Amino acid sequence: MECFRIEKTDFEVFLLGLMKGHQVVAPVKRDLVRFESVEDVKDIFLGERSFFPAKKYFFPQEEVLFRFDGMSVEVPVFHRPKRVFFGLRRCDLNAIKHQDLVFLQDAHDPYYAAAREHSLLLGYHCETAPSEYCFCDSMDLAEFFDLMFYDRGEYYLVEVGSEKGKGLVDDHSGLFRRFHRLISQMEKRIPGADRLERKEIGGLYDHPDWKKGVDQCLSCGACTALCPTCYCFEIKDEVGLADVKKGSRNRKWSSCQLQEFTRVAGGHVFREKREERFKHRIFHQLEYFREKYGVDLCVGCGRCIEGCPTRIDFVELINGMKMDEKKDV
Amino acid sequence: MFRRKAKKKVEKNPYVPGPCTVLDVFKETGDTFSIKLDMKIDHDPGQFVQVSIPGIGECPISICSDSREFIMLNIRAVGNVTKALEKVKAGDVLLVRGPYGKGYLMDRLKGNEIIMVGGGCGIAPLKGIIEYVKNHRDDYRDVHLFFGYRSPKDIIFRRELEDWRNSYNLTMTVDKNEENVFCHDADVGFITDALKNSGLDNENKVVFLCGPPIMMKIAVKILLDKGFHDDQIFVSSERLMYCGIGVCCHCMIRGKYTCVDGPVFRYDEIKGYGND
Repeated sequence: MECFRIEKTDFEVFLLGLMKGHQVVAPVKRDLVRFESVEDVKDIFLGERSFFPAKKYFFPQEEVLFRFDGMSVEVPVFHRPKRVFFGLRRCDLNAIKHQDLVFLQDAHDPYYAAAREHSLLLGYHCETAPSEYCFCDSMDLAEFFDLMFYDRGEYYLVEVGSEKGKGLVDDHSGLFRRFHRLISQMEKRIPGADRLERKEIGGLYDHPDWKKGVDQCLSCGACTALCPTCYCFEIKDEVGLADVKKGSRNRKWSSCQLQEFTRVAGGHVFREKREERFKHRIFHQLEYFREKYGVDLCVGCGRCIEGCPTRIDFVELINGMKMDEKKDV
Repeated sequence: MFRRKAKKKVEKNPYVPGPCTVLDVFKETGDTFSIKLDMKIDHDPGQFVQVSIPGIGECPISICSDSREFIMLNIRAVGNVTKALEKVKAGDVLLVRGPYGKGYLMDRLKGNEIIMVGGGCGIAPLKGIIEYVKNHRDDYRDVHLFFGYRSPKDIIFRRELEDWRNSYNLTMTVDKNEENVFCHDADVGFITDALKNSGLDNENKVVFLCGPPIMMKIAVKILLDKGFHDDQIFVSSERLMYCGIGVCCHCMIRGKYTCVDGPVFRYDEIKGYGND
């Protein structure tokens, strides 16, 4: 892929220019680091991997599928702002790629498509694993971005990843200078992020250690809410208090870690035990998704571990299981 | 039409249902009823539709008929939506989308004898097969129906029973008959015991199971003991589902989606999955 160089002072000019026609969304440090719309480049915080992913911009926590008045149905018109995302890490970018597989390729979901259509994805390369919980290097992630920024102190090296990204560079050719070589494979590595020793866990389904992992689970659902890839949802009707005939059918994030997730009419819960639900989440991330879409769903960002109130670390759990297996051999 | 704008190709929104008129409603038992809907769709037996009442919600209901002019739904009032559906009358409008799911692949099973084992509301999707077979009678051999009900008052599809008894080998049981009332020659006992004692072998036969999980579990065991192979047995699964198109993930059974890969599974596809 083509490579360019931009001085950091020019980068500010570049972002300010983009703000004229776009909403610029980047990590901001408040209590925790989260993606927010920024108006001042100085607010952008790149010192940590964000605590919250950028997921809600494409797949909001709750959104209206359609409004109804009696039996007449009206789908909302999609007004999604043009957005430029900056500061997405490799995990964030691959998470978007994986949700694209579900919502664009598979379901042709118009709500997600409208949010994705006018978005530019500008990545920020992690020089080293930004969190002790990271394991993206174990996950065979893809190169997926419009532009990727490699921080070199005074300047960025910028790798082009798409036609859209190339267009952006061309539009600001005064700020970007062609770099004399390409980004090397060594430069693309993220040292210290390979702690998951094996991601093929198909043979571990009946391993007794899954139970160990969930003895401390509170069934709070933080893991699925913080996960940049988790995409399960439920659909519920909301009605107004004044006129119960008027309302909307909404979809909301839901969590496979809760009993309600599999509760059918009559009250039966299929995955009643926390262990079953925990195992289901990990298997969806590392096995089931690959069976259907050809890639693992998990991107190794470690947010589900960092955000877990009791820090249940499924990576250590799986690594431990592997050791047990070796003993058996 | 000079100034007609070039219309961008609009893909169908998968979550938006369309209006369907209720043609008829039949009371079946104390808490079950059948609704005939003006919905002209091509579908397989065992497929389902998402039926909704705005403000209450949406729920999946399997189609229990085989017509291209209308669909019949048999519903038991157990949840919010189904309880609200109990109040609909002929002429009312419901919002419906579908059909969804993989039903019974009847095309591939031609030339077989068919055994159906159904319990309670699980008989509804099987009724779709019965009507399919009736419409394609030359393609299949004998049909054996094993239908179990909790009690005489839980017998659904009474209007069809005589026809079924005349055309097929119908065996009926009720779990109990405390008031000792007439119940269409049904024996008292479990339908799985009737299956066990039937003397049917596995030659050129396929079996469709639909009913409570415990009934299906026992029926599968009986069939395997009788020498049936996994790929001769088809089970129908029930899960909570919202989207119907394999996205929302609520209906996942390990890596399989009940709404897309099911609700009908060949037994070897989900063997040993149990409560997953």
